[in-house]
Amino acid sequence: MRYAVRAVGGHQGRRGMCDEEARIAETLRGHPGARDAAVFADGDIIRIFVVPDDGYLDDELGRKAASELVLQKWRKTFDLSQLAKGAESATVGLNTLGWNSSYTLQPIPEEEMREWVERSVENILSVSPCRVYEAGCGTGMLALRLAPHCERYTASDFAPAVLSRFRAQLVTLPALDGRVEILERRADDFAGLERNCFDTFLLNSVTQHFPNLSYLTKVIAGAVGVVKPGGRLLIGDIRSLQLLPVFACSVEAFQAAPETGLDELRARIRRRIERETQLVISPAYFLALRSAFPAISRVEIVPLRGRARNEMTHFRYDAILHVGAAEDDSIAMEFTDWSEAQGGLDEIRSFACSHPGQAIGIEAIRNARIAGDVRTLVSLENGAADCSVKQLREEVRTSAAQGIDPQALLDMQDEIRDCAIFLSWAACRRDGSYDAAIVPRSMLREGQRPAIDWPRPDAAEFVRIATAPGQQAVRKELEDRLTAYCVQNLPATAGRIAIELVDALPRAADVLAPGDLRIRRHHARLDGASVARPSPQG
Amino acid sequence: MNAKDEIRQFVQKLLTESGDDQPLADDESLLLSGRLQSIDAVEIVTLLEEKFGIDFAEIGFDRERLDSVDAISTLAGHGQSNRA
Repeated sequence: MRYAVRAVGGHQGRRGMCDEEARIAETLRGHPGARDAAVFADGDIIRIFVVPDDGYLDDELGRKAASELVLQKWRKTFDLSQLAKGAESATVGLNTLGWNSSYTLQPIPEEEMREWVERSVENILSVSPCRVYEAGCGTGMLALRLAPHCERYTASDFAPAVLSRFRAQLVTLPALDGRVEILERRADDFAGLERNCFDTFLLNSVTQHFPNLSYLTKVIAGAVGVVKPGGRLLIGDIRSLQLLPVFACSVEAFQAAPETGLDELRARIRRRIERETQLVISPAYFLALRSAFPAISRVEIVPLRGRARNEMTHFRYDAILHVGAAEDDSIAMEFTDWSEAQGGLDEIRSFACSHPGQAIGIEAIRNARIAGDVRTLVSLENGAADCSVKQLREEVRTSAAQGIDPQALLDMQDEIRDCAIFLSWAACRRDGSYDAAIVPRSMLREGQRPAIDWPRPDAAEFVRIATAPGQQAVRKELEDRLTAYCVQNLPATAGRIAIELVDALPRAADVLAPGDLRIRRHHARLDGASVARPSPQG
Repeated sequence: MNAKDEIRQFVQKLLTESGDDQPLADDESLLLSGRLQSIDAVEIVTLLEEKFGIDFAEIGFDRERLDSVDAISTLAGHGQSNRA
């Protein structure tokens, strides 16, 4: 059933509001734990969406203390990883202890980790960094490779045993003597650093261990202060919130015994999402930063490069936050919708060749890396017949492979030598489809990342922009307090209200059931199946 | 309550906090099976350090040695006998 909704509050506007809903929204805004509220009538139930106040969560409800505990646990986890067998004999610059696959629970193969780190280094070097600050440097996998190319490299981490391992490697590399400064500190500690003294801030594969989004925002605020105009923040290897359902499905379908029933598989996927212990972030969060930090002039969201088939290449992205007014790097182009296209690389090559000398945009390219996972999830969401995992795997395996691997598209640059190819995940589609721009090199400056007006996400994607690991109790307490406050001030609402905490107020059409596994729109097109935009209850 | 009972209870609490209410056998894998996360291992390490005197800087950290109630109890027993 769709909501017959009247929305009230925040940016929702006042159209169609009724007195009771307006009173509820106004009342809740009077509670110190609610920054904003929107109210939707749904029959007898009044659904209330509240953007919580971070200060209230931190100080009144104890989130700050809980966050400190999480940080301490992660510090100890990283330090313990360096007490494992093999830590001392790890390859210099490739100490990957603790990097375990979610699928096999075993260490990720070294060749995959090598590709991952080398691709990251290539990406960073492509913007010609000169003075670099890296937070969460670990054992120096990036620093040891990047520092030789930089004038100044400052690396920080909060785990002392990890830094000891970094220092031990550093002394074996005389060429780096005196070029790397190491600081033991948290990522949010910028004390003593001058303003505008770096051109590049790095935070790679670290955000998932942050306790909450406020902490990340604090780190970004500090980083924006130390990066000079024209520089950038490179935040890498971020787990995508939009792809969390597909990721959970992928892992659980992989791990399930062949005879497992699909209802059991669905339950395991839900449990995996509900029990997520890491901070998983939507690209929408980074896109929205521009309004909070005027110094951020442009944001790019880029799927990870790489040929390896693993959870990093499939489900993670880099965010590039450009600081300060740059030269006019904008390149205009039309985007062509590719979501219905059946062809592969050859069609894209032909399309590019039919527009010589022009920059072209291609929108919603199906992502071959996770096409099977998406198909599996869509089958489950569509209520696939009550068969076994074995049968489901067979069904997915025999269906035609679709889409284009993002790395294969990037590799086309080697063929079309006069063009550069850029990719974007800024549209936040939940099937991992991506956008591409093919730009004649004659339009680019050396090392330039052009400003492209990439397709953007629906407003709905800003409603929930991150997981809240370990905050269930705190958030439940706030919901209870808000409910009590509402009933106390408006007794007629007793027993009729349902409060849900969100990151931004939804529009009526955006309201979805919490924890919903379903993915929308492009999946329907992807599979040709009839997947309607899900209604809140059914 | 003996050491093993205490460890079993502690592990059961960690599982419950992570939403896992499935039964637990003493020889059942915790970390290598994915029932507990690496960040949960820190809780077990802290218990072993504080209650049983284990020094991980000395013995090294190995997930296999913390992977079941049986394994953790064995490690705790070594700590106790070293302290005795």
